[in-house]
Amino acid sequence: MNICVLVKYVPDTEAIVRIRSDSELEIENKYFTNFFDEIAIEEAVKLKEKFGGTVTVVTVDNRRIDALRRGIAMGADHAVQISDAALEGSDSFGIARVLAAFLKKEPWDVILCGRQAMDDDAAIVGPAVAELLDLPHVSSILGLEIAEDGRSARVARQVEGGREILLCPLPAVLTTQKGLNTPRIPQVMGMMKAMKVQVRKLDLGALGVDPAEVGERGRKVRILRYLPPPKRSKAMRIEEDFPDNVRRLVRLLREEAKAL
Amino acid sequence: MGGEVWVFVESVEGAIRKVSLELLCAADGFSKEIGGPVGAVLLGRPTDSALENLRSYADRVYLAEDERLAAYTSDGYTLALASLVRKHGPAVLLAGSTSTGRDLFPRVAVRLKTGLIPDCTGLAIGDEGRLLATRPIYGGKVFCQVSIPEASPQMATVRPNTFTLEKMNKRAEVIRDTTGLEGGEIRQKVEGVEKTTQEKVDVAEAEVVVGVGRGIRDPGNFKAVQDLADALGATIGVTRAVVDNGWWDVNDQIGKSGKNISARLYFAFGLSGAIHHVLGIQTCKTVVAVNTDTNALIFNYADYALVGDMMEVIPALKEEITKMKDEV
Ligand SMILES: Cc1cc2nc3c(=O)[nH]c(=O)nc-3n(C[C@H](O)[C@H](O)[C@H](O)COP(=O)(O)OP(=O)(O)OC[C@H]3O[C@@H](n4cnc5c(N)ncnc54)[C@H](O)[C@@H]3O)c2cc1C
Ligand SMILES: Cc1cc2nc3c(=O)[nH]c(=O)nc-3n(C[C@H](O)[C@H](O)[C@H](O)COP(=O)(O)OP(=O)(O)OC[C@H]3O[C@@H](n4cnc5c(N)ncnc54)[C@H](O)[C@@H]3O)c2cc1C
Repeated sequence: MNICVLVKYVPDTEAIVRIRSDSELEIENKYFTNFFDEIAIEEAVKLKEKFGGTVTVVTVDNRRIDALRRGIAMGADHAVQISDAALEGSDSFGIARVLAAFLKKEPWDVILCGRQAMDDDAAIVGPAVAELLDLPHVSSILGLEIAEDGRSARVARQVEGGREILLCPLPAVLTTQKGLNTPRIPQVMGMMKAMKVQVRKLDLGALGVDPAEVGERGRKVRILRYLPPPKRSKAMRIEEDFPDNVRRLVRLLREEAKAL
Repeated sequence: MGGEVWVFVESVEGAIRKVSLELLCAADGFSKEIGGPVGAVLLGRPTDSALENLRSYADRVYLAEDERLAAYTSDGYTLALASLVRKHGPAVLLAGSTSTGRDLFPRVAVRLKTGLIPDCTGLAIGDEGRLLATRPIYGGKVFCQVSIPEASPQMATVRPNTFTLEKMNKRAEVIRDTTGLEGGEIRQKVEGVEKTTQEKVDVAEAEVVVGVGRGIRDPGNFKAVQDLADALGATIGVTRAVVDNGWWDVNDQIGKSGKNISARLYFAFGLSGAIHHVLGIQTCKTVVAVNTDTNALIFNYADYALVGDMMEVIPALKEEITKMKDEV
């Protein structure tokens, strides 16, 4: 089974992000492999352990390959970095185009990616890649069972109030949600392999992607400006003893906040 | 620039999802600014009463009726929605930021060669009649204002409870139209839904949410929480710690790796206020925190802070609320 996992290195949820100007952010240098992508890597490695085959991790990133190293440390076999100066300024659709061009070059049985990247929270790349490759997709999966012949999958997807069970032929693009598995912690052997990994590098030329389709020129969605989040005023402390504090709270919620 | 403002309408077990109606209310305002009617797109087989209800919220209801659209599949719905858009060319296409909206819209956007602004918490009409959207990034540490300057239709998904639901009394004409399924293939086959929560209203869509953290200590204690939730007409939401302990289903997890909520009223009981959780409640209107620890982080994000034992406060709160309701 040939499995490809799309991975992104993103600012840690705890990293400080400040607005420098309307068009510029300052992000603390604290990054990690996107939480949902680790779930995708884990699932890929589990599939390999069951069905054999290889796992390839791929990232579109001009600077950082740490997500690739994480993938190798967790058990992936191959790592691919797609980088190109022309990618600066790309939006999710541009990135999806590049990933689709790469994926088209080889046959895959399963393409896994995270439900969303924890920086943009766009959740666009997975379905967009599937559409560009004319493959079926299922997003936010919580369960995956692949048939013995490797040609179809029974998938559980998160929906409001529960999980939807569906059958999907392979190859397909599946986006992973928390609950699917618990990502393994890489062992020393894996870490050592990751340090020495040969990363295959590709640029737009190698993929046959027109630079006009990505970067600033290819953008469909434009960021006009950054804004601070809405501020919440300081909490009102309710200091009375129990149960008077509960009575006061209810009164405040009704009369002041008009929330009851 | 003119053109129709469309809302992709979702129905659940015959009823129209609230977020779809909220968006139709907002679309009414947008349509006045850009000068075109409001269209509601419904795929599948709605009940008569759902269709009637929907008619009062739109100028036109586009209906693609087909058994194969009875359950949502990304293939079927992409075919149907893209074909309707191609035929009628709306200027704006909106959906709720729900599991369906977020699954469907990226695929449709690529097929139509347009852009998509996902998971918006604010939406208005800007210059030249273009959408002006606000959305959180970096988990809500920063917001950004975005637009789709050139492509059409301009697509966006919007969080539930972003707009107020009002009663409307339009009388939409119903346009029964092509399903777009001809020549296409639906590759996914839906077998059914396993309900993991009893709640009728999903936590992401609920107006009042009772949030519970590790402070609950024992899953048996959820009985009291459920009583309070029932008295409030609320849905229960939980932290990741509660899910990881196996005390509640992941479907109701609030936060970075769970759901974002925009409740009118959020109760945070026995949860510390870790950034991963707080990022998911940022757009809630009123936040009440109850914690035994005077210095709990969650108090920094709350409007009302009560230092106390949740197991004592919850039943008392339920009593007070029931009493208050009886008085009214
Ligand atoms: C070289 C480069 C330059 C960029 N320049 C800008 C810029 O100037 N302005 C700006 O606003 N944004 C820029 N971006 C960010 C870009 O717009 C996208 O936001 C991003 O790469 C796509 O991710 P998303 O957050 O939309 O993904 P989502 O759709 O939320 O991600 C879902 C999943 O898709 C996969 N995925 C996402 N991104 C990648 C990736 N890069 N490689 C492999 N898999 C991925 C992961 O599995 C992820 O879990 C740039 C990105 C790159 C790589
Ligand atoms: C990548 C990543 C993603 C994550 N995503 C999420 C997410 O989506 N959602 C999420 O919630 N977390 C998430 N987390 C976990 C998060 O960091 C915290 O660990 C978690 O939110 C803590 O849950 P808690 O507040 O219930 O528990 P704790 O931090 O243990 O807090 C329990 C609180 O209960 C109080 N308490 C105890 N007893 C009582 C009592 N009787 N009455 C009142 N108060 C009491 C204590 O004072 C304490 O403040 C994520 C973490 C990571 C690393």
